[in-house]
Amino acid sequence: MRWRLWLLMAPALALLLAVFAAPLLHYLWLSTQAQTVLTGLRPQPIGAQQWLRLWNDGRFWQDTWQTLRFSAASVSLEMLLGLVVALLLNQPLRGRALLRTISLLPWALPTTVMALGWRWIFNDPYGPINRLLAWLGLGAIPFLSNPAITWMAAVGADTWKTTPFVALLLLAGLQTIPADLYEAAALEGATPWQALQRITLPLLTPYVLIALLFRLAQALGVFDLIQVLTGGGPAGSTESLALYAYLNAMRFLDFGYSATLLLGSFAILLLLCSTAALAWRWSSRLQGELR
Amino acid sequence: MARLLLLLWSLGPMLWQLYSSLRPSEALSGVDAGGWTLEHYRQLLQGDPPFLTYLINSVVVGGSSTALTLALAVPCAYALSRLGRRQARSLTALVAAAAAFPAVLLFLALLELARDWHLANQLMALSLPYAGLCLPLAILLLQAAFADIPMELEEAALIEGMGLWQRLRWILLPLMAPAIASSALLVFLFSWNEYPIALTWLSRTELLTLAPAMARIAGSSVYTIPYGAFAAATVLGSAPLILLMLLFQRQIISGLTQGAIKG
Amino acid sequence: MALRWRLLLVTLTAALLIGFGALARARVEPVSVLMPAPFADASADLVQEFNSSHQGIQLTVTRGPLETEAVSDLAISSLLLENSPYDLLLMDVTWTPKYAAAGWLEPLESWLGTDAMEDLAAGAELGNAFSGHLWRFPLVADMGLLYWRTDLMEAPPRTPAELVAISRRLQRESRVTWGYVWQGKQYEGLSCVYLEVLRGFGGSWLMDDQPQLDSPAALAATGWLQDLVRQGVTPAAVANMGEPEALQLFQAGDAAFMRNWPYAWAELNKPESPLRGKVAFTTMVSDVGNPHAATQGSWGFSLLAGSKHKAAAVEVLRYLTSAEAQKQLNLRWGYTPTRLSVFEDPELLAANPALGDLQQALAASVLRPLSPVYAQLSDLLYRELNTVITGDRADQTAMQQVQSNSERLLRTSGGQG
Repeated sequence: MRWRLWLLMAPALALLLAVFAAPLLHYLWLSTQAQTVLTGLRPQPIGAQQWLRLWNDGRFWQDTWQTLRFSAASVSLEMLLGLVVALLLNQPLRGRALLRTISLLPWALPTTVMALGWRWIFNDPYGPINRLLAWLGLGAIPFLSNPAITWMAAVGADTWKTTPFVALLLLAGLQTIPADLYEAAALEGATPWQALQRITLPLLTPYVLIALLFRLAQALGVFDLIQVLTGGGPAGSTESLALYAYLNAMRFLDFGYSATLLLGSFAILLLLCSTAALAWRWSSRLQGELR
Repeated sequence: MARLLLLLWSLGPMLWQLYSSLRPSEALSGVDAGGWTLEHYRQLLQGDPPFLTYLINSVVVGGSSTALTLALAVPCAYALSRLGRRQARSLTALVAAAAAFPAVLLFLALLELARDWHLANQLMALSLPYAGLCLPLAILLLQAAFADIPMELEEAALIEGMGLWQRLRWILLPLMAPAIASSALLVFLFSWNEYPIALTWLSRTELLTLAPAMARIAGSSVYTIPYGAFAAATVLGSAPLILLMLLFQRQIISGLTQGAIKG
Repeated sequence: MALRWRLLLVTLTAALLIGFGALARARVEPVSVLMPAPFADASADLVQEFNSSHQGIQLTVTRGPLETEAVSDLAISSLLLENSPYDLLLMDVTWTPKYAAAGWLEPLESWLGTDAMEDLAAGAELGNAFSGHLWRFPLVADMGLLYWRTDLMEAPPRTPAELVAISRRLQRESRVTWGYVWQGKQYEGLSCVYLEVLRGFGGSWLMDDQPQLDSPAALAATGWLQDLVRQGVTPAAVANMGEPEALQLFQAGDAAFMRNWPYAWAELNKPESPLRGKVAFTTMVSDVGNPHAATQGSWGFSLLAGSKHKAAAVEVLRYLTSAEAQKQLNLRWGYTPTRLSVFEDPELLAANPALGDLQQALAASVLRPLSPVYAQLSDLLYRELNTVITGDRADQTAMQQVQSNSERLLRTSGGQG
């Protein structure tokens, strides 16, 4: 009986191994090789040199910082806005279903499609925001040409696209909270704000955590949006780790280093996500003890 | 008030694209020009290759990926839901980790795979990596739905003398229809939107799917920037999805929420 | 009876004819060329002529993106997949070493003969042959030019100091808002600008495969560009300017000088241009004793090693780069030729008097490093230069950074290098 169950799983598990595990193992090998134009695109073993190069590569660290900055900003904005939207959608309103569908639309559109759209929205001086500013008699904002501003523009576009996703997950969580909890709280004279703090947020934590981990992993691998919206510029200020790895492979034809960068990004991702998960577990245990 | 704000936030950027796509080019670059035009759409639909090609390619890839994913995920999810608790738990955790994994990190190895196995520039072949990437989510969703079906039902069928295949076909799948529909829609959405792998696996312009085609349009702007055409492409590229969302909103939303509650 | 025989005869002949027709069609060799969009548009007539005069070859042009790097990305992704549908590529001069080292190109000397390069004008022969083989045949020449306003001054400046002095005088007299505009965005164009100034100060980018970017000349060049912005000769917005932005500002009459490619000449002399007849061009300024350099940026055809129709593709290459074709491209689209015979064609000289000056500038042209890792080298350079121009970084630290990064790149990329 048992072996038949495994047989049923075998094809799917095989494909999963081929798509997820094999590439990571392949990178591990490739990161010990030089495979560039100078080797005629044939791999040549060079030991740990690529890793040394990564360690000394200022651009890698700059991109790491920029990717972290982007992820931290967009994920926290998304969680915050997502919670607000979820609370709003959880209220019994007229036309809630339609509102829910419409608010989910940004998430469903292809990233490259909307990145192109945002490029036009952020245009200086003809985009809608800058037109509005000009009409108000204010100066234009150089959304896509000022290193200090462009990364925030990218965060804005990302937040617009993924807030609905977070909101939906949190909404699912909100709907599992029994209504009588609130009724009991109201009887005891709790304000809505207190109810939010005491009931909603604690019971919502598992959902927040799922959304947070998922979004964090996706944001750390940001690629589509950056490539189409800014191409990594200006002055490299929005280049993400994934884009740098992509450039190394497809433009510089430096496959060994590209694999090293991809593994490096993976390591950072693993580190952050497991830290987040552990921190949550630790804090929830602490809370349990306090109660 | 809050509802209005939410509507504006969600629809505003899209409405601006719609507006831009219908305005003449001069109006977009600040010159005061009135009137409306379909010129940008005409340009796009008669381009080389015409924009519809990209949409058709995306439908082909989306359809085949969805079929392959379900064919693999349904038996796997069933087995996982019938496996002992301890074994299933660690497997499920791994699958959940894979579901969150950013696909872009895999592009280089998948590129080499495409080259060595001669899978490049074939739309159907693209469903292999897509199915691989979608499997985790599909398995999680379906496993949760399988777990909801009472064991007694299956045991009764077993007593009736039904084999595994018959049980799946006549008892379980009909009960699973809603979950299968939501997973299918989510897989289709993913394949429709996927970018880095399509970018590296397809190099013939007539085979591009929507996402890389849009990026190619973006990379073609040195002398004058065709914002009208950009906007028209955005509108045409999102229209099928908006339709899909409006038609199947319940399935998509329940798919996502189920995944969260059970996952 | 007779009727039946005749019918049979007719059927047989028809069948034979159809059969031959199919055979003839099968013998037509398809040749596919990838070009950036502007070239694909400009050569559309030539392609049509070729197809009607060459029955055995069916030439199709794939219209690539406009942007140079985007075209390269498209070509590279098809080559990496070992599934390239193209036989010929129209290549920028800087790509050639990378593509050749990757083993994607077919040496051309055995196809074109050793005398193929003889008709090329001085400067146009650069960047096509290296490590003993000819990898590319140039179609269109391109080089950096210094445009100046004939209505504002008698003669163009020849040294950096003169350029600044004239600019400041004109700015003081409020005859122009800005002195000199160029390409300062973080992209390849900035490396082109820098190379000209670097040569003008007596430096060079690589010497014996060693970067020379922290030399006194290199620092002087960086310092000069930075000072242009600091002193207000060049607007700070230059840090985000490519060719079109610089041209827009210059054409509006807001600057006295501009660095740009030959295509700007045709733009500036269009009937509706406010500067029509008020502009001339020369080569870049340089310190006394150093050359007036023009960065060479030509486009040419390469034959792909994986092509299955090499002979036919070479036929296409010969046709599209012939003197007649180059003449047509110049007359109708203003592209600079690469052949000596075209530069000296009396009919062209009459139609386009600037051709002689272009030929001189081409002769003064200098190459960017011919290296397979050029893309990385240039990326290192323009990233840092851009931070210097935006004022985020002192020029000396930036150039030391470029120097050490370039050294490390040349040392580590490819193991033994």
